Amino acid sequence: MTAVTAPEHSTRKIQLVDPTGADPGPNPLTLADRPADIRGKRLALLDNSKANSDIILRAIGDLLNDEFEFAEISYFKKHSSSLPPKPEIIEELHRHADLIITGIGD
Amino acid sequence: MAAHSHRARLHDVDETLDAIEECYRHGWTDGLPVVPPTLERVEAMLDYVSLPPEQVLGEVPVRRRALTAEHAAANAVMAGCLPEYFPVVLATMDAMFQHDPNCIHEASAATNSPGILILVNGPIRQEIGLNSTGNLFSPGHRANATIGRAIRLILINVFEQRPNVLDRGCMGSLTKFGVCVGEDEEQSPWEPFHVSRGFDAGQSTVTVATIQDPEMLGNRYGVTAESLMDATADAMASHGLGIYLNDAPWFWVVGHWHAEMLGRQGWNRRSIQEYVYENSWRTRAQMKRLGAVNGAVEPADEDTRVPAAPSPESILIFKGGGDSGIYSELLMNYHGLPAITIPIRDSWEGFRAEGH
Repeated sequence: MTAVTAPEHSTRKIQLVDPTGADPGPNPLTLADRPADIRGKRLALLDNSKANSDIILRAIGDLLNDEFEFAEISYFKKHSSSLPPKPEIIEELHRHADLIITGIGD
Repeated sequence: MAAHSHRARLHDVDETLDAIEECYRHGWTDGLPVVPPTLERVEAMLDYVSLPPEQVLGEVPVRRRALTAEHAAANAVMAGCLPEYFPVVLATMDAMFQHDPNCIHEASAATNSPGILILVNGPIRQEIGLNSTGNLFSPGHRANATIGRAIRLILINVFEQRPNVLDRGCMGSLTKFGVCVGEDEEQSPWEPFHVSRGFDAGQSTVTVATIQDPEMLGNRYGVTAESLMDATADAMASHGLGIYLNDAPWFWVVGHWHAEMLGRQGWNRRSIQEYVYENSWRTRAQMKRLGAVNGAVEPADEDTRVPAAPSPESILIFKGGGDSGIYSELLMNYHGLPAITIPIRDSWEGFRAEGH
């Protein structure tokens, strides 16, 4: 008894070009170390510019300040909710903050 | 970056129907079947513009993703583009990169679901058979349908703007299937749109903008230009489109008979813009009561006019659509990408989009 073989495949293989994006390489940015303790640190609030972000962020800042007594609380606002902060805001955050809270209250 | 890192992976499959299903399996489609992006078809697209596959056309920093010529070509093939459409696809991406590469993420991620309008002017419209008259925004014309679709597929596949992942659209939009139209320059009472922006009539251009869903303007019985312009002003100040009052530019796509009447009664772009700007407003109190502006109504809000457009010149006017009825179309240019007009290059050799 002979083995049944699959019929000859009439189609040829074709190659598809993968349309998904390329990784542009190693990330040039590194994350800062997380502070071991936030007591007495400098807090920055980063408003993403959506409605009510300022209200909820300031309320969170006040609540945390009662417990952790920050050395300083500063407030920054992005120019657009869906774009990264402008470089000068990033620079200010870098110089004035040990920790940052961002979020929306929309 | 090493060139080899930008070359796309290849997937071996049996041809045609299997290949279409393979594209679905990878999540490469917009929900409709795509043309399998075979090596031969992608090469034909690249050959038309003389770009090497690994050429980086631009990067979106917030997504950490780069667009190469090969990726752009693969997505254009999948959308159903012919090689001669590819310069319009590249010019559209060029406009976005020139404005701000991050706008590609911004425009797609927004919950209010903006689409991307591509308005084409100049001789390339006839060369590629781009529709600018009847059924302007309908299916039915290969160039219109596939160029707009190619941009959406690039956003989905290259920049990962997939629905409900990074694309956070709430109601979504039919415009996300792609919106590419020509201006009906030949039957317009005014100079072509790109000429009004300083380009020669013989130069082909794209104007690219993020848009909210279009609204039909149905003034069929007015017999004066003022009646028509009042109707457009009324729609601009309505609640639905007007949620970003005083903040966003507009497109009035003036239909055939509306354009004919405005032209016959002596109105030009500038005088139309000024009239509509002056007459398109609501009080701040009205907008607050309709929930279109945040906050409680203050006494001063009752007398505070909020214009629908930031300025007369931000009401952009071009002629389009058919002569089978008496209609126009209104589109709001949502944040992300203001209406950027750039030339479509004759030569793409060595091209790389530069953000500012």
